[in-house]
Amino acid sequence: MFKMNIPGAFLRRSYRLKCTKCLGRSLSTATEEKIEIPARIERGPTDILRALESTITRDITAAHYKYHDDPYLLPMNNLAKRSFAMAQEAGRKAAHWVRSQHPELFNHQECDPPIEAFFPKMVYNENSEVTEEDLKNVIDRAQVSDAILINNLLKAKGLEITNETKQSLLELLCYNNSEDILDEEFIEERWFKQSSGIKDRQRKTWKDASAAEEIFISIDKPTSDSYSAIIQGMAKFNQAARAYQLLEEAQEKGFELNIHAYNSIIKCANFIKENYDLRWSFIVNMLERIKQAGLKPNLGTLNAVLFTLSTMVNSRMVKDFALKTLNEFKSLDIEPSLGSWYYILITFCKDRGPRSAVLKNILNEIENKNHKIQDLSDTHFFVTAMDIAHHHLNDISVGQRLHKLLLFGNNYDLIGDSYKESIYYRHYFSLVLSNVPLQDFMESMYNKLVPNIYVPEPSVMREVIKQIELNALIEYIPRIWSDIIVFNQHNREDLLNLILSVMVDNKPKQDTELVEKFANIGWDIYETIDGQNQERYSNLQFTGDLLGKIMIVLLRNDNFEKACTVMNKLDHQHQSIVGVPCFEALSLFVDHCIKNKAPSRAIECIQYASDSGFPDIITLGAKLNEQLTLDEKHLNRLSKFVDLKLS
Amino acid sequence: MNITLIKTIPNILKFPAANSARLLHLTAVSNKNQAGRYKNTPRKNFPLTYEMANPPHQIAHRKSWNSWNTSNVEGGNRPSETAVEDQFIRKFVQGTWHALFVSEIIIKRQHNLIRIAGLVHRGVMPRKMYFLIGYTEEFLSFWLQCPIKMELQSVADKRHVVFKYV
Repeated sequence: MFKMNIPGAFLRRSYRLKCTKCLGRSLSTATEEKIEIPARIERGPTDILRALESTITRDITAAHYKYHDDPYLLPMNNLAKRSFAMAQEAGRKAAHWVRSQHPELFNHQECDPPIEAFFPKMVYNENSEVTEEDLKNVIDRAQVSDAILINNLLKAKGLEITNETKQSLLELLCYNNSEDILDEEFIEERWFKQSSGIKDRQRKTWKDASAAEEIFISIDKPTSDSYSAIIQGMAKFNQAARAYQLLEEAQEKGFELNIHAYNSIIKCANFIKENYDLRWSFIVNMLERIKQAGLKPNLGTLNAVLFTLSTMVNSRMVKDFALKTLNEFKSLDIEPSLGSWYYILITFCKDRGPRSAVLKNILNEIENKNHKIQDLSDTHFFVTAMDIAHHHLNDISVGQRLHKLLLFGNNYDLIGDSYKESIYYRHYFSLVLSNVPLQDFMESMYNKLVPNIYVPEPSVMREVIKQIELNALIEYIPRIWSDIIVFNQHNREDLLNLILSVMVDNKPKQDTELVEKFANIGWDIYETIDGQNQERYSNLQFTGDLLGKIMIVLLRNDNFEKACTVMNKLDHQHQSIVGVPCFEALSLFVDHCIKNKAPSRAIECIQYASDSGFPDIITLGAKLNEQLTLDEKHLNRLSKFVDLKLS
Repeated sequence: MNITLIKTIPNILKFPAANSARLLHLTAVSNKNQAGRYKNTPRKNFPLTYEMANPPHQIAHRKSWNSWNTSNVEGGNRPSETAVEDQFIRKFVQGTWHALFVSEIIIKRQHNLIRIAGLVHRGVMPRKMYFLIGYTEEFLSFWLQCPIKMELQSVADKRHVVFKYV
């Protein structure tokens, strides 16, 4: 009977059987509280690391971890960010080059088990002894040019390769357009590469009569897979007409193409059919064929249809089609990816079209979810959506919801590349800047995201300065100026002019720190322009207006000596300096000359004013004459261009 | 001069043949510790870093080790290889970063990761320094076949690391 106290889960099955046999139903309460041991979850070797990593968010107070944490080595502006990361990668490439030049020196093996990435790469040339095994290896490692070479060697030797290998070689060549692609190892180059794809998307880049086509021809009995591969390759690189031709050919011969081939053809509809109506009927025709072939459409089909619709002209019909397509695929249980939403966005929110709030509905759909990349176009979503939130809707709440989505989980992986990232932030900054009070903007965005996450471009800086003027919060000017210097934007003429006119137009209260800071900024600007290298291609030029403004800010802080230097510059380089300072600056200078008892400087200034054709110099001369007792010499000089008797 | 006296001198200098080597070895002059110690120069203008200023017996008291690994504890792996590799790393880094390192090169090993630390002076542009970092890390990881990381700090002036002049 002692067994009755033992909980059921601890009883082995044999015991339980025995008990139920001998004790009947009296044990039923004990067997009920069984401990459920959960089924074992298979964990990968890096799962714990991933779990730990998920607890860490990006530290906005530090630069990205690819940079060295040292004041000298931290990048402060966009140029430095780019060049530092690329320089490090260039160093890595140099090491790769050394290894490829002297592979015989790197043949030792320290690591156990061997790690292939550390060993020198196999080099193949015309004299190499190759087998099909080598070909398989290079195909696995996606070394396109090596694969082509080995295939040619095998052919020259008369060695037959299996159809399987041929097919995978064809797939490799079709995917890469028979070209070597940038090694996956060089992530920085991929990150900083300008999205040059925009142009390539519009024109044919497929190499005609390339190795891929040769392989395709050399296959004796082409299968549906080889047709699918070559069609996809041609369609990917916009050789649309021939891809379509091959599709027809394959269907005539009764091959069943796979769904990806159909998807890629649908994406090419623009090249195949001229007219919008024809394109749509082409798409419908293709979808019919998919149905006839008994294939199940997938996300790629959805995105291909939406892509073609998004390139059509803005009309009611196109939008209807897009919505219908979404509905249709929803009933097929195909969840749209961010790329699908990107196409929807560009279909509905055209530049000149009516305003559409479709982004809000999309956000309701995708908010608070972790998104994974499923389609290449997924990386376009965030930058486009922020553009639409800014220019199309100008709605701050949408922008903030979108940004929250970007920071959710691992969604930041979908930002694309550095170029898209900076455009995204440019739109986000401009949106917030024009919609919230400046103080909030500075605290919640500027101080947090600049400069580690984002360095504002000059255009954004200009907007910030304009907002400062609108809100009359001139105490931010020194901060912004120092940032302008750090971001290497102090050689932008428009920024210099803007910041100077803001400082002149918004006179700070006398005897505050700001007066001095403004004077320092003014002097900084003077020295920047004065001290620049004459041989530089695009030099900044002094203008009369600029110098006048500098003079005003200097004189407000009683920096008479420095103002004299500026005046000298105006006077001596009268010929080369474009424009004249405002009269206020000159009059202020004369006032300060009187204050500092420097009549000859005042007379020089009045002479300059007279040369420049200001009509009001008489008042200046009179003022000088009244407030300072001038000696004979000065009076003589003054009377040359001012008729003192009149005053 | 007494000629017999001169004749006796060689005998005085002569040691018993069997013990001669040992006796020389045990003299105070020979037994003096010299490694890692710096003598005063006539003008007292030879700069020493903190690390150089402390003789080896101060290791673990006032200064620390230059190589950190567990090869030499009981049951440790590859003690001799580790020592040779560390020396290779030092030579390689000294040569690649020519006249840039102003401290000892510290090599720390954890699992299969090697971290190379030290102070460099800001003699070249940051961009070039990044090039060297990338080159050194990648090259050494090809050579030693494990991940290598550089952990550098920069000093604006070589004189900033001078602890004293001898």
